[in-house]
Amino acid sequence: MFGKGLFKGLHISLKRMLGPNVTEYYPEQKPNLPPRVRSSMGLDPDKCISCGICANTCPNKVITLTSEKGDNNKKVLKTYQMDVGRCLFCGLCTEACPTSALTVTQQYENAVYDADELQWDMIKRHRHQTGKEG
Amino acid sequence: MTLERTEELALNLGPQHPSMHGVFRMVAHFDGEIITKIDPKIGYLHRGLEKLAESRTYAQFIPYTDRLDYLAAPHNNMAYVQAVEKLANIQIPERAEYLRVIFAELARIASHLVFIGSLALDMAGWTAWGYCFRDRERILDLFEMTAGSRLTVNAMRIGGFSQEVPDEFWPALKSFLDDLPEMLEEYQGIFYGNEIAMGRMKSVGILTKEDAANFSTTGPVLRASGVKHDLRKDAPYGIYDRFEFDVPVLYGCDSYDRGLIRLLEIKESAKIIRQAMRDIPEGPIMAKVPKVLKPPVGEVYHAVENPKGELGFYLVSDGSTKPARLRIRSATFINIQLLPAISPGWKIQDVIAIFATLDAVLGEVDK
Amino acid sequence: MDALNKLPLNIAAAIRGLFGDPHSIWADLTMTVIGIVLVIVLIVLAALILILLERKIGGWASQRPGPNRLGPRGWFQTIADALKLLGKEDVTPAEADRFIFKIAPMIVFALPMMTLAVIPFGMGMVPIDLDLGIMYYLAISAISTLALLMAGWGSNSNYSMLGGMRAVAQMISYEIPLIFSLLGVVMITQTFSLSKIVEAQSTIPFVVIQPIAFVIYFIAGIAEVNRAPFDLVEADQEIVAGPFTEYTGLRWGLFFLGEYGNMTAVAALITTMFLGGWQGPGFLPGIVWFFLKVGIIIFLMMWIRWTFPRMRIDHLMGLAWKVLLPLSLLNILLTGLGIYIYQYVLRIGG
Ligand code: SF4
Ligand code: SF4
Repeated sequence: MFGKGLFKGLHISLKRMLGPNVTEYYPEQKPNLPPRVRSSMGLDPDKCISCGICANTCPNKVITLTSEKGDNNKKVLKTYQMDVGRCLFCGLCTEACPTSALTVTQQYENAVYDADELQWDMIKRHRHQTGKEG
Repeated sequence: MTLERTEELALNLGPQHPSMHGVFRMVAHFDGEIITKIDPKIGYLHRGLEKLAESRTYAQFIPYTDRLDYLAAPHNNMAYVQAVEKLANIQIPERAEYLRVIFAELARIASHLVFIGSLALDMAGWTAWGYCFRDRERILDLFEMTAGSRLTVNAMRIGGFSQEVPDEFWPALKSFLDDLPEMLEEYQGIFYGNEIAMGRMKSVGILTKEDAANFSTTGPVLRASGVKHDLRKDAPYGIYDRFEFDVPVLYGCDSYDRGLIRLLEIKESAKIIRQAMRDIPEGPIMAKVPKVLKPPVGEVYHAVENPKGELGFYLVSDGSTKPARLRIRSATFINIQLLPAISPGWKIQDVIAIFATLDAVLGEVDK
Repeated sequence: MDALNKLPLNIAAAIRGLFGDPHSIWADLTMTVIGIVLVIVLIVLAALILILLERKIGGWASQRPGPNRLGPRGWFQTIADALKLLGKEDVTPAEADRFIFKIAPMIVFALPMMTLAVIPFGMGMVPIDLDLGIMYYLAISAISTLALLMAGWGSNSNYSMLGGMRAVAQMISYEIPLIFSLLGVVMITQTFSLSKIVEAQSTIPFVVIQPIAFVIYFIAGIAEVNRAPFDLVEADQEIVAGPFTEYTGLRWGLFFLGEYGNMTAVAALITTMFLGGWQGPGFLPGIVWFFLKVGIIIFLMMWIRWTFPRMRIDHLMGLAWKVLLPLSLLNILLTGLGIYIYQYVLRIGG
């Protein structure tokens, strides 16, 4: 019968109208992201052996790092810059890192007002974060 | 009395227009409400991916493929990595094959959900759109917990699969599949079964079998015009020959059938996923692949059936670590050529619906 | 309860009492002004509430909460939006026909005010009680076609132009079944006065006697106010916002107010003509009954809007000319026959 579909639709939308909502009240209610989510990068400078694999793996040349010779000829990380504005957050770098110094983190509120703020100094960020935690 | 011809109106739809998917732009010429000519303009999202590939190593290009058809990223990954594997002659473990199939079919469902939602939205069916995106969210959650990202999944690697799925994956997948019939019924009830929607799409935007074939259309658009062509059956790649499923074919050739066929395909994809869940073996998910991959000199074309049609990668290797040439045959780029051909004579509203049923994703069109 | 029902009347009498002669021209004038002001307040209030309600219902239908930030559960959202609109720059396109462009929103806003002025809100509460209330209402509401055409033409934009043309085609077509569907009621009550029609429904609302007319008027009414599924005039997926595309700030806000005012007016007329107006069981005052019924009609309209896709223009025309018009003519015929039989039975019985 013509019109049956119309009433079916009305029935569905009324049912949903009276039913519960499925959305999240975002800023008050933060999502619980699974641990694999690639929304930010974090570096643990103590673990890093300055091998540069991460920088080589990156398809977009996001990472630049410098190191200097420390005692008993081991490389010590000096600077570690990420140009996150160009980062694809693909996770190839963290996958390649042999010591898991570079990891993905679930911090997703990355918006900034200025493009310059997208140049992340990873060592500083690490210090900042651990400082806050400790 | 002679009928006076009135002045033709040219209307610019896009790249920023409420009905346009992505940044597609078309200039429509009208006679009253009737379209006389459509002039599609593409390229607003051109990023030169084919050229970019030449300066990236084979592995480095995988994340870029995510950005082709961003509604079904695993398909792009799969097409690309399988092409490279063909080129470099790499065998991948069974478990990875199964995971690839599961991901690809999930992505097909997700992409079709977006399709149904945006088709409804293009006819002002806001609520139906909400339901589709609500359900797609569960697929994206599955992607997220496994590969770490919702849209640009980047789940596949040359030689296998990026990560083993977590423990929560299987129960979540199962519950999604169990709820799927109910969801489909809801879309049927609120959109496909609605007489107004039927009136807008039935017998509208006729794409004949001959035209479809001549334009080398692929995918659901072709199958809704009565041609049974599906690469999963006709040229099975990966392990698709192990699954039992039907290829839905409709003979209406109109917008409604092009819309409905997606609903039927979702059901078939669910069938495939269930079989894959049943058969998936234990084992490794990555083959031994050299760190620096140098495929032998040669060329390869590999195509998969992505939700929109045939997605093919043509790769030329000169023996170095980077492809010498990459060419992407994307389904929607070709399907979208139909628009100027089948639109004239229909009303502007119909053209919006026709465009929606072609299911263009501009990431794939513009590359 | 009777006292509550009569309260507005008593207040009116008291105000009239302030003048020496309660029926002097000054007293009449004052009462008219008060009535008009109340109607304006009503429209603005209705628009504020309805816009929010619309968004809430749209949200609930797709399982969202709708606006939920400002005020308790977001109920102040529209006020903030209205303030924002006030602060927006008022842009007039360079190529626009300035006079027509500027006057169109004002007309759209003024119309529901004029139509609502003849609606009986409660016992004796008619801002202006016209003997030809229905005629007046229909005549005024037809002008909105013109206003939309003016907006479409004056903007000098192709989107607006198409929208304006659609408005004319659609609204003129739907005007006819709309008017015919009301004729049945007029035939039964033998009057054009809205307050008399409400009084005639003291025992039984006309929706029971005239169900076909009610359905026709409801459908045509939705089409008259350009609401989904008949919102071709501002079909955003096709022509961006139709005649409103080029408007900004307060002018655009006036269109919005007018639109929701129109919706209220149509719902109010449906209530008056078919649902017994302010009449209802005695436990609530008449004005509450009136707004309750209006609210139900408006909810129905919103519910439909958030469920159905938009119609195609030829189906829209087909519906008006091939379905609603014959049906409404049939309804007139049936009503005439019914009246004839009724009178015949009365004569036999008496
Ligand atoms: S996530 Fe990808 S793009 Fe970003 S730094 Fe790592 S490898 Fe480079
Ligand atoms: S790959 Fe890991 S260890 Fe090596 S430089 Fe990068 S972060 Fe440090």
